Amino acid sequence: MSHSALKEEILRKLLRLRMAQLIVNEMYKKGAFKVPVHLALGHEAIAVSLSEIMGLNDQLILNHRNIHYNLARVDSLKTEIDEYLLKNEGLAGGDLGSMNLVNEARGIVYSSSILGNNLAVAAGFAMAKSIRNDDGVVMVVTGDGAIEEGAFYESLVFEKSNQLPVIVIIENNQWSLGTKIEERRCTIDIGKLVSGLSIPYEQLSSNDTYEYIDKLTALKAIACERKTPVCVEVPLTTLGWWRQKTADFPDGKFINYHAGPSPSVNEQEDPYLARSSDDPLFVMEKYFSTDKIRLLAAETLAELKKAVL
Amino acid sequence: MKYIEYINEILKQKVLEPEHLFIFGQNVSAGSCISGFTRGLKVKPGGRIVNTPNCENTLCGVGFGAMMNGVDAIFFMKQQDFLLLGIDQLVNTYNIVRRNNPKASFTIMPVIVDSGYEGPQSALNNFADFCSIARIPGYTITNKIDAQEIINKHLIAPGFRIIAISQRLFKTELIDIPCVYMNKDRSLFQYFQGQDVTIACFNLSLPYGLEIHRRMRENNIQASVFSINAAMPISWDEIVEDVQRTKRVIIIDDSKSVNVPYQSLLCALYAQGSMEKHVLVKRSYEGYWCRPHHDQLDIDYDKVISDLNIQGIGVINK
Repeated sequence: MSHSALKEEILRKLLRLRMAQLIVNEMYKKGAFKVPVHLALGHEAIAVSLSEIMGLNDQLILNHRNIHYNLARVDSLKTEIDEYLLKNEGLAGGDLGSMNLVNEARGIVYSSSILGNNLAVAAGFAMAKSIRNDDGVVMVVTGDGAIEEGAFYESLVFEKSNQLPVIVIIENNQWSLGTKIEERRCTIDIGKLVSGLSIPYEQLSSNDTYEYIDKLTALKAIACERKTPVCVEVPLTTLGWWRQKTADFPDGKFINYHAGPSPSVNEQEDPYLARSSDDPLFVMEKYFSTDKIRLLAAETLAELKKAVL
Repeated sequence: MKYIEYINEILKQKVLEPEHLFIFGQNVSAGSCISGFTRGLKVKPGGRIVNTPNCENTLCGVGFGAMMNGVDAIFFMKQQDFLLLGIDQLVNTYNIVRRNNPKASFTIMPVIVDSGYEGPQSALNNFADFCSIARIPGYTITNKIDAQEIINKHLIAPGFRIIAISQRLFKTELIDIPCVYMNKDRSLFQYFQGQDVTIACFNLSLPYGLEIHRRMRENNIQASVFSINAAMPISWDEIVEDVQRTKRVIIIDDSKSVNVPYQSLLCALYAQGSMEKHVLVKRSYEGYWCRPHHDQLDIDYDKVISDLNIQGIGVINK
């Protein structure tokens, strides 16, 4: 495959992730799901990138907001939706729903709905790999809320002490439930925090999927060669927010998307949710024309709907 | 031989079996180890023994992660109290793990500090309460037979469980008595069979039950003695059958648990209908019962025996 064809393939994967979530959101608005789903609109770049760098021996461990990673790894949107519908045909036979969804055949080995819980389990997976001298790394996804938990620090200390190659991805969307960082805690300089443990740190903030793939590839090599955990902070914006008018906020209070359907997002052929770098698809305009992206988005949506409906 | 010395001996043999065993915990292979517990453990070259940092929550998750990734793991810990820090993993992660019947093993072996005088925060003698939060299979060790059987059957076996040992018994002489019956799960052991009374010992109370048995025998009262080494309710068929013959039961529970399996036994006995008299030996709670004090049961053995109202058998009603 040529370099340009590879680039387009990545774009198609981004679009698939976006359009699939729009379909899920539309079904959610109609009350199709009883399980809580945490959409990750705007998180597509890191999910596609991480999936791209995963080798056969790598293992991915997720948190409650895992739809983007699962969709990036799953072959069929229908099996994932069937899981949300708790059908026997679902990805986990309807046993796990959304927040604990795994796909062991594609390397997603554990997901937890409890903040910080998956960090400790990831350390155990990495320890088992180390004991058996297995190839590959463990990748674990957490967020700016979960790093407030003691398990974040504990697991890093354990991994560093035992020379375990683990890539810790911190999706920082600033929000935990309905509170922004400045509403709930002091600033945490993650780079400084982990440097105190001699753990390499990198921030990925461009929302550029190609750049993320290159940087994550390099970080994976560092983790394996130095036998160390590495921390990757990914500032991003969860798209799908809205304003809610209340007696206290007659002009509308900003509500960040946490879980449930996003009322401000509709199923549409136009894939963009923001005309800024908050949207990884907008960032793709560095490489593709707007028309090309829109054309591929319409094709992707049609294919997905055909497969699902 | 002392209780803890024998447990170490059994452990030493067992942990040499797997190719890739991961043993971990604070101080497991340093200094005095865990006050003597885990002293001298060695694993095959493909395994690993790790003295860990102090991070019980993460350590519980590490054990589950290793198990899910196919490596047998044992987490030894100094006190069950510290395991409270790992409750998220013990409940939430275990509830995921149990879905797939894992092929590898994860066992936590804590010491139950039932020796007393540790203070309000270090005396969690609540093993049944603890296991009840996620229906965790839990086993206690009191003597030579159950140490041998429980460690050999459960220490390294697919799935998760907690095997607890007693601080109180650490330096006592190992109880070495013949066993007349043990169930398949090694959660129920019978040590004596008698015609007059059934003694059912829960948690780590077998030594008390044996003392009652000894005193009864001096008075020509023949008692059956069972030890229930499970923290969760089990099948009570053997005990119910015994009570059909004896009609009288002494139940002993030396734990501080509220969710206790003996209540399940009592229900089974009431439902069966043969039990005419029972005596329950358990803790009483008065005043600020958490202040440092000894943790042993103060049992008035003569009263326990006389409360059974056994007529015409020996001289027991003092």
